[in-house]
Amino acid sequence: MIASQIRSMWLVFKHLFRRNVTVQYPEEKPYLAPRYRGRIILSRDPNGDERCVACNLCAVACPPDCISLQKTEDPDGRWRPEYFRINFSRCIMCGLCEDACPTYAIQLTPDFEMCEYDRQNMVYEKEDLLIDGPGKYHDYSFYQVAGKAIAGKDKGEADNEAEPINIKSLNL
Amino acid sequence: MPTITIDGEKYQVDGDQNLLSSCLTLGLNIPYFCWHPEMGSVGACRQCAMIEYKDSEDQSGRLIMSCMTPIRDGGIYSVNAEMAKEFRGGIIEDLMTNHPHDCPVCEEGGECHLQDMTEMSGHTMRRYRGSKRTHRNQYLGPFINHEMNRCITCYRCVRFYNEYAGGNDLQALGRNHQIYFGRQEEGRLENGFSGNLVEVCPTGVFTDKTFSAHFVRKWDLQTAPSICEHCAVGCNTAPGARESSNNLDPILRRITNLYHHDINGYFLCDRGRFGYEYVNSATRIDKVLSVRDEDLIGSTADNKDILHKEINPQDAVLNLSVQITAAQRQLRRIIGIGSPRSSLENNFALRQLVGADHFYSGLNYLDQEVLQLVNSLQSDDRILSPSTPEIETSDAVLIIGEDIYNTAPRIALAVRQAARNRQKQAAQSLKIPLWQDASVRQLEEEHSPIIFIGTALSNLDDIADATLFESPQKTALFTHALAQEISGYKAPNLKMPPHLQEMVKRTAAILLKAGKPLIISGTSGKHPGTLQAVAELSRALSDDKKTPTKLYLACSEANSLGLTQLFNGTEGNLQQLVQTLTDQRSANIPTSLIILENDLYRRLDKHSVEKLFSLVDEVILLDTLLTPTAKRANCIFPASATAESQGTFVNNNGLAQRFYAVYEGKGFIQESWRWLVDAVDFCTETCENLSVLKEWKHSTDISDAIAREFRVLRVLDELGPDENFRIDGLRIARQSSRYSGRTAIHAQEHVSETPPINDPDAPMSFSMEGIHNPNKTQLQANIWSPGWNSNQSIFKFQEQVGGERKGGPSGKMIERPRHPIPDWTNTLEKSPQPPNSMQMLPIYRLFGSEELSNQSMAISELIEAPFVLINPKEMTQHGVNEGELVDIETSSGIYRTEIRRCNTTPEGCIGVPYGLPGLETLAALMPGYATLRPAATHSIAGVEN
Repeated sequence: MIASQIRSMWLVFKHLFRRNVTVQYPEEKPYLAPRYRGRIILSRDPNGDERCVACNLCAVACPPDCISLQKTEDPDGRWRPEYFRINFSRCIMCGLCEDACPTYAIQLTPDFEMCEYDRQNMVYEKEDLLIDGPGKYHDYSFYQVAGKAIAGKDKGEADNEAEPINIKSLNL
Repeated sequence: MPTITIDGEKYQVDGDQNLLSSCLTLGLNIPYFCWHPEMGSVGACRQCAMIEYKDSEDQSGRLIMSCMTPIRDGGIYSVNAEMAKEFRGGIIEDLMTNHPHDCPVCEEGGECHLQDMTEMSGHTMRRYRGSKRTHRNQYLGPFINHEMNRCITCYRCVRFYNEYAGGNDLQALGRNHQIYFGRQEEGRLENGFSGNLVEVCPTGVFTDKTFSAHFVRKWDLQTAPSICEHCAVGCNTAPGARESSNNLDPILRRITNLYHHDINGYFLCDRGRFGYEYVNSATRIDKVLSVRDEDLIGSTADNKDILHKEINPQDAVLNLSVQITAAQRQLRRIIGIGSPRSSLENNFALRQLVGADHFYSGLNYLDQEVLQLVNSLQSDDRILSPSTPEIETSDAVLIIGEDIYNTAPRIALAVRQAARNRQKQAAQSLKIPLWQDASVRQLEEEHSPIIFIGTALSNLDDIADATLFESPQKTALFTHALAQEISGYKAPNLKMPPHLQEMVKRTAAILLKAGKPLIISGTSGKHPGTLQAVAELSRALSDDKKTPTKLYLACSEANSLGLTQLFNGTEGNLQQLVQTLTDQRSANIPTSLIILENDLYRRLDKHSVEKLFSLVDEVILLDTLLTPTAKRANCIFPASATAESQGTFVNNNGLAQRFYAVYEGKGFIQESWRWLVDAVDFCTETCENLSVLKEWKHSTDISDAIAREFRVLRVLDELGPDENFRIDGLRIARQSSRYSGRTAIHAQEHVSETPPINDPDAPMSFSMEGIHNPNKTQLQANIWSPGWNSNQSIFKFQEQVGGERKGGPSGKMIERPRHPIPDWTNTLEKSPQPPNSMQMLPIYRLFGSEELSNQSMAISELIEAPFVLINPKEMTQHGVNEGELVDIETSSGIYRTEIRRCNTTPEGCIGVPYGLPGLETLAALMPGYATLRPAATHSIAGVEN
């Protein structure tokens, strides 16, 4: 009994000579890995076009249902979100949206500093979410691997695609 | 019933089915592509492989394609044997080698049969790294998107489009690895059932273009069972709605088929599938409008048109209630006009408000007369109104005066299947099972006889054995002759040329020989004589066969037959209203006219409508669209469309069916009856009739009141559960359990969520809380089962594949008192034709003749410019050429239209497209007379007064 208490005091005493684990946040900021799950962004592909194709998979994966968007289509066939909204006051930073995203468009970042006096300000629209770069995935461009033709990438021009078949030829 | 063993379990199955559909009926999951419950098997995709064992000693067994295997009594099969699983996995991997990485940008994603089958076969990773074949797409018209890369060559599209629906402009082109499903040249898919390709294609080659314009995934659509309002067949639909992007109001986003065994089965027509967009169109009324007193600068309105401004709904309701109160004190008279395109509930509410004496049908004399004829024909015990499967199994079809492809399209599709019955009989005699589709179609049998008499026939001309294009009078004469031929009665007064007499004899022989003859007719010809002749023919045939004659009668609007039940004979027609008001003009009592969802300019000639408006002081309109009538109304209330409200329609068969609100209409839109009840609520004093309205809180309250008031309609109180119905204490969920964006979709307005709207009418919730399983209740219209995300999952909710829905058929037949039809043998009219005039015969268009769907964006692209059809002989006589403009002089003005040659238009007649934009006001004049002359100057088509 006494031995245990002395042992505890010894352990506490030993910590006086250890380095501090806590840091003086916000003056001093800890290291957060790139895959930390913080504020959500929408990235762009290497050409600078929006990566999001409005497939709705993030929205359906989201446990608190805090993502909402609407698909629209450019005249060239590219799908885009007409609006893209995340209600961060509901978001639980679980990262399921990032897992679900087939185009690497939606990504979580190491930024967690999201405080507002008004909850309404936690509602982010597409303009607030879009960043200028490709985020964690530098080279991926969805339309380069997809079969749908868009401006600048005709049928047969994606990776691993054969020339479109001319159905009026003999095709032997 | 044969007993089979599958994976060690013994089952009793239907021996007429193949192994695949038997297994699906048993609830087993077997992947398939080319097989379709309605189209049978061709064994093309090899996906449904199973193992068959010789006997219980056999350990290895052999691979079979279950869709091509008849049931063997005592047969031993396996779905889960390793060899079968491996084979199916290999097939799907092979099919997927060329499939593009498109799912995120594919409208089919999330309800894709290919996705489901790929998952089911366990092929979740692509090993193939080679290059994929690609195809260029085609423009296929305003309805269908084409993305040929996604094709897995199951051939379902051409089998449906060409073989089932009779199209000829979609082909399998190319060969081996390069098969291409498309048209020879780009262009609109011409068949009126092309929309079904969206559901028939197991992947995203053919997708719904109108849906794509406001696309969301299937799981994000809220839905409820509904009834198509674009004709009177009564097809069941599952509309899908979701909040629009930048405001809170939901919009209607698409229509899909909702299986009903006796009506639409697996297929809808394009008018029903793509006509929904009128609900979101620019002509939609979503505000309460009232007369604007001040003039508008630069207004283009006609001098009689009323200019409107938005007013506070409460003021408008108050104004209406003041009029109702005045009417109770006999200081005012209120007249109500009903509508065949509105629900029974709305019509009855108006009738209750104004009193039965002051309630008018909203139909003209002729329309009401033909509808009453239909009603009395169907009330005869010797006549039976057939369901779609009964039509499909009849072995001789006689169509009299009805262009069903354009007036009851789904029935035309059924008739096309009936044409195959001779082939099917031959197959049965050769012991070929009917599901062996390719083999059955190999048999070069003639079509079952299909005979047409009337003014116009579309789509079915390729399978019609004999066609006779005549005026309605001659059609009636022919039908009378036919009836007399069958009953063996020789009438001295029927004089016909020899070739017609010969045709009468031949047709009579065919009908007498047939085991299951079917007669189709309807109201579209607006000719009572034809219907009377049809009655006589049906009676003669029934007397001969000693069984009721199958007679399908097509009416014009979704609730035509329902409205008819509220009136005796032709009482309450619009001409009668005009006459009554004219007679009582001296009484000098102010009059209000409440018009329910009706455009009077389509019902009565222009002068009568103008006269009607001049005889009343106040016009109050409840409607969905800004029609010409709306321009003359002093006050307009926005009424909810079918998908936004609950109510009852009675279809062509006399089947009462209830539709449910899919979503709440935007703005101030609410059901017409609710506006009326609101107005009565404001009344300070109410007599007994009106206090009934005050009691109505739910749509089912009115249904029950109708059931009490009308014996014929007493099934209305058992049509469906009332709003208090619960399953395990829960409502039925309109949203799927995966519905997304709940806490974000309205967040830009209010970050805090609002509770879902409470539905006062149906036991359903506007949220994802509640019952999701369609097996527990047919009120669940989201056809989904785990692992089966596409509409193909419907088999999980049927008694057997292609059979009734579990829980029995929805809808109930109205109980009309049975009485024999009177004797119309000698009612042939002598119609004097005014000299130098031509009879205007209504001809119908799938796109253009129906009022509501005309406002749909995709359909309006296909509506033709005003035209009339004329016989080449008459063309020469009148000195006009094809494509020239002519003036059609009628009692309601001169119409300038293009003229088109049509060899089948009877002499002395012109074919006038019914309801076509620009010619809507001619609808009420048909089948009257007009004079035709070449247009003096070349100017654009239009109407002059």
